[in-house]
Parts: sequence; structure tokens; C-alpha cells
Amino acid sequence: MAEVLFYVLAAASIACGAGVVVARVPLFSVLSLLGAFFSLAGIYLLLGFPFLAATQLLVYAGAILVLFLFVIMLLDLGNPAELKKHDGRALSGKRLALAACAAGALALAGIVAASSDAAPAGAPATSEEALDALGPLATALFSRYALPFEAASVLLLATMIAVLMLAKRQRAGSDRNGSAGWPWRKGVEP
Amino acid sequence: MKVPTEHVLCLAAILFGLGVLGFLVRRNVILVLASIELMLNAANLSFLAASRHWAGTPGGEPLQGPIFALFVILVAAAEAAVGLALVIALYRLRQTVDLDAANELQG
Repeated sequence: MAEVLFYVLAAASIACGAGVVVARVPLFSVLSLLGAFFSLAGIYLLLGFPFLAATQLLVYAGAILVLFLFVIMLLDLGNPAELKKHDGRALSGKRLALAACAAGALALAGIVAASSDAAPAGAPATSEEALDALGPLATALFSRYALPFEAASVLLLATMIAVLMLAKRQRAGSDRNGSAGWPWRKGVEP
Repeated sequence: MKVPTEHVLCLAAILFGLGVLGFLVRRNVILVLASIELMLNAANLSFLAASRHWAGTPGGEPLQGPIFALFVILVAAAEAAVGLALVIALYRLRQTVDLDAANELQG
């Protein structure tokens, strides 16, 4: 059962990965990437890493994908003439992406149902499904890997500041080297 | 019966190849970033496959794979945030996200 699900999910992830490369419209390409993330989360679950599967869904499908979709919507990339030219293909691409997402979600639901059926309540977890048990993982993360963990927090802070600096709007009338775009520094410069 | 590790690594290799192909072929910056995400996912998959492969052996450290994958996910999130901010800056400068339009550094 698990092997069949693995190969189904592997085929789905490869198909979605190919969809990322070949889709004409950026939106469908990113939706295809969502399907690939879903099926990879299912594969992580099958390999015995439930925490990594949940992290994959939360961080990749929940945060990074939303960021991608947000930028695509924000930048208004849909050139109407281009969209009209690829109308038939775009429609099929949309169906393909929707089908991929639905297949990924269905596969996840099937895995969850199958695993909850297979393991009776109170049974000890087999080694196959406890490879990233939360207790040992947290202990290792906060003892042996404490320094990388803290460095990661500094990296996230630096990322936040960098994004703020990069994405702020340059005011049309402000000078280039001064306090452009920062309202609380307006008029401070000589 | 377990899925053999070789098959998982083959899947990771195929996904990485698809990511490289998209990175080289696509001209849209957003889709280049998406291809990078696909490659990072393939790397994660091979980390987890190796961790699962060596989990039962005496000297194996089964937690190294998941922890590395966790850090890869974190770095991917940071990379996506900075990359998409760069896309917004490029769009503000050029009114396009075509990679061929960004040629200031080519001399």
C-alpha cells in the first residue's frame, strides 16, 4: 500500500515539476509548484518524517507559495494580448494545475486515513514512522545544533531588514542618497 | 516492505534536473526562483532518504537529515523573500520581470 502511494506521489511530483518548467502563464506554473510541494509532503510522510511533512506544508505551501502568488498578483504580469493568444492552452494549464492540487490533497488525505487505520490506538510507533520524533529532534536542535539555530534567527532578522530596504518605495521627488521613502526621517537631513 | 532508497534518490535527481532545466530555460525571474525552490526540495528529499537509509546502523545519526532539511527550508524561505523583493525592485526599475531586460552589469 505504502509503496504504491509512494510511486503515485512520485509521478505526481515529477508531473508537477515538469509543469513548473513548461507552463506558459506564470500563475499556473506557481500553482503547479504547489502541487509538487503537496506530493513531496506526502512522500516525506511515507518515508517516516511527519514533522518535516508538516513543516513543508506550513512553510512552503503556506508561506513561500503565498509570497510567490502575492508578487505575481501585485506586479500585474497578465499581459492581456498574451493571455488571449494562449487562451486555449492557458485553460488547459489551469485545469492541469487544479487537477494536480486536487490529486495532491487527495493523496495526503488517503495517506492520513491509511496510517490512522493501520496503527491501532496506543500501539508503539514502529521505527518507520518515528524517524523525526519531536522530543529527540528538539533536544538535538537546542543542544548540539544550538549555534546554527541562533544563526538562523539572525539570518531571518537580516532577511527582514533586507526585504524592507529593497522593497520600499522610492519617492518621486526625494533625493537618491538621502532619506528617500522613510517618513520619520523627513526633513532631518540638512 | 520499504521503498528502496535508490528510488527515492532517483526521484530527487529527476526533480533536481527539472529545477535546473527551469532555471536555465525560463526567462521570467519569478519562475527562475520557483525552479530554485524545486531544486532545494530535491536536496531535502535526498537528505531525508539518506537519513532513513542509515537510521538503523550503529554509527548512524538519524536526526542529522531532518535537522539539515529544516535548515534548508529556513534558508529557502529567506531566499524566496529576498529574491521576490529583488523582483519587485527590478519591476520598479524596468517595468518587466524578463531576465534579458536586466543587463546593467554585463558591461
